[in-house]
Amino acid sequence: MAPSTDIAVVGWAQTPMVRRTDLSETALLLRVITDAIEPLGLTRADIDFTCLGSCDYITGQAFSFVQNLDAIGAWPPKRDSHVEMDGAWALYEAWLRLQEGDIDIAVVTGSGRSSTGDPALIYPMEMDPYYLAPIGADPMTFAALQARALIAAGIADERAMAEVSVRSRGKGDVDELLEGDYVREPLRRHDLPPITDGAAAMVLATGDRARQLVERPAYITGFDHRTECHNPALRALDDAPSVRIAAEAAGLGDAPVEVAELQAAFTHEELLLRRVLGLGEDVAVNPSGGALRSNPIMATGLCRIGHAADHIFGGGNRALAHSTSGPCLQQNLVCILEGRS
Amino acid sequence: MTRFVENTITFPYRRSLGPVIGAFMTALADKRILGIRNGDGVMCPPLEWDPATGAELGGADALVEVGPVGTVESWTWVPEPTEQHPLDHPFAFALIRLDGATTPMLYAVDAGSPDAMSDGMRVAPRWKGERVGHITDIASFVPGEEPEVEGDDGGPLAEPVERMDYLASITYNNPVPPSSDFVVDASREHRLVGFRCPGSCGKTYVGGRGVCPIDSVEFGEQHAVDLPQKGTITNFVVITPVQYPGQTETEPFARVFVLLDDTDVVLGYQPVIELPVDDVKVGVRVDAVWASPGEETGDAPTMAGAFGSLVGWIPNGEPDVDDPDLVNRIF
Repeated sequence: MAPSTDIAVVGWAQTPMVRRTDLSETALLLRVITDAIEPLGLTRADIDFTCLGSCDYITGQAFSFVQNLDAIGAWPPKRDSHVEMDGAWALYEAWLRLQEGDIDIAVVTGSGRSSTGDPALIYPMEMDPYYLAPIGADPMTFAALQARALIAAGIADERAMAEVSVRSRGKGDVDELLEGDYVREPLRRHDLPPITDGAAAMVLATGDRARQLVERPAYITGFDHRTECHNPALRALDDAPSVRIAAEAAGLGDAPVEVAELQAAFTHEELLLRRVLGLGEDVAVNPSGGALRSNPIMATGLCRIGHAADHIFGGGNRALAHSTSGPCLQQNLVCILEGRS
Repeated sequence: MTRFVENTITFPYRRSLGPVIGAFMTALADKRILGIRNGDGVMCPPLEWDPATGAELGGADALVEVGPVGTVESWTWVPEPTEQHPLDHPFAFALIRLDGATTPMLYAVDAGSPDAMSDGMRVAPRWKGERVGHITDIASFVPGEEPEVEGDDGGPLAEPVERMDYLASITYNNPVPPSSDFVVDASREHRLVGFRCPGSCGKTYVGGRGVCPIDSVEFGEQHAVDLPQKGTITNFVVITPVQYPGQTETEPFARVFVLLDDTDVVLGYQPVIELPVDDVKVGVRVDAVWASPGEETGDAPTMAGAFGSLVGWIPNGEPDVDDPDLVNRIF
C-alpha cells in the first residue's frame, strides 16, 4: 500500500544492546527517546503522536506500558497508542496515523528486557492454550522443525546456516561450529539468537517538515504486514507466503534494493527469507549483523528498519526492512525505504 | 551495584473448551483420538474453524476417530527438557500424522535416543492410567504399533469435560530502581522522602518513583526532599476481600488517600490503623505510623508504591477538616 502523503524516517536511536541491563524498561525508553529526538533539535513537546511496542509477558507486569508513558512526557495529555508487538508494528500504526494529515511528527519505540524471565519458559505460554502450551512447545523446537523442512526442500543446509551465523556475528569458524552439539537437531547454538536487553526509538515526519529536519529523509514508500495460522503444524514450513504477499503489497518488485535488513532470529530463517523475497547476491543482507548479533525482543524489528534507514541517510537509494512475530515466521512485516535526490 | 528482585507470577486460567475441543479432550480419557472433517481432509487435533478460511467446520457432528497409531513426519531431539515438557528425560518432539488424519500434531515421542528416531517411523500413544480429559492424558508416544497404558487403567470420565485448567507461572528478575531503594532506606530512619522535579513542573513525587512523567527527568538523591508526616484523608475505599490466590485479608478493610500538610502531595491507597472501617471518612486528620525495628518486612506494603517501613496512618485526634474539595484529591 502506498502512502497518500510523504512520510519519512528522519532519525532513530538504540540503547546499548546487552545480555542484562540494570535499567528498568522505562529508564531505557527515557534515554533512547531523548537520544532519538535531540540530534534533530526536537523536544518531547514537538511530538504529536507516540506509539510504543512492548510485551507484558516479557516485562512480567500487567499494563507495563502505562509506566513506560513516563518516558514520553505525556503532559499536557498527548495522542498515544500501544501495540503488544515489536516496535515495527508501532511504526506501522504511526505511519497510518500520519496519513490523516493533521499532524507532522511521531515517535515510535520498541522495548524489552528479555533477561527478566527465561524466554525458553515464557514463549510456550503464548502458544495454542489447548494443545501446545500444556506440552511446553517452545520456539527452538518449532524453529528446528522448520529448519528440517528447509533442508529437505534444498533451501538450507547446516553449512549454509553456519555461514549465516559467521557472517552475521562477524566471528566463528564454520568447520568448528559444525562440530558443536545440537540444541535441537539440526540447530546448534550458533543457529540461535542471543538473549538481549534493549530498546529503540524512531522519529517519523511528514512532507516539508521531514525535509526541514534532515537533508535526506528515508521515505517509506511501501508498508504491509500479513499473518498466517497460529499453529505451525498446520503450515507448510518450507515456505512463507505471508512474507511474499507483504513484499508484493509493499512494492518490493518495483525497483531493486541495495540493502535488506531481515529479522531472522534463527540462521535458516534468513535463507528462507532470501528465497521468498527473491534477493540476489547483489543485495547486502543484514550488514548490521541482524537478530543473530543482538535480539532485543520487541525492538529487533524496529532496529531492522532503523538500520535500513541508515543506509538511506548515508546516500543509499532503496532498502528493505522486515520484521516478524510468532513461531516459524508466522506474521511478517515489510517496509520499503527510499531516498530522493 | 543494582539490586535485583525475584517475583513469581502465576495466572490460574480456566478455559472453556467448546463443542469440538471439549469432545476431543473427553475422548482422550476414553483412549480415543478425534479429528474433524475439513473438506476432503481430517484435521487432528481438531479446531472449530478452518485455519485457512475461517469457515466453521460442522462442530461435534464433523468429528471422526483417527489413529491412535500414526507416522512421524518430522522430529527434533530435546536433550535437556524443561519443567514444562511432558517428559523429564531427553525425548523427541515430533510432527505425528495419525492414521486417518491429513494434518500432523506435535507431541513428545519417548524414544530413548535420537538414533531411534526417523521420518516415517510408526508411533503409538502411551496413555496415562488416570486420565482427566486433557492433552497430557497422552503421556507420550512410543515407537511401534501398540498403544500402552501406564499402570492401572482408570477408564473414561463419567461426564464430558467442558473446561481445562492452565496454571501459567513465570519467575522474573527485575532491577530495583535506585530511587526506590533510597526511599525505602530513608523509611528505616522514619523519614518520608519524595523527589522534587527540577524541571518546569516543580512537582514532588512519592513512592520511590524514579522519573518525572511530565518533564521526563530521572531523579537522583539530589532531588530528595523530606515530607511532613501529618495529613488529611481525602478519599477512601472499603474493600470486601475476594479469596483469590495470594489474598491474605479476610474481613472488609479500608484504603485511604492522604494529603500531606503544607504540600501538594497525595499518598494513594494507604492502610489505616486504629480506625474502624465504619469511622473512615473524608477529612480525618492522621499521622504516619512506622514499623518498629525488627518488624520491617522490606516489602512495599501498598500497591501505590514503595514506602518501606511506613505501616499506615492513625487518627491524631485533631478536629476533622471540613472542605468539600478534599474529596477530589486522589492524585
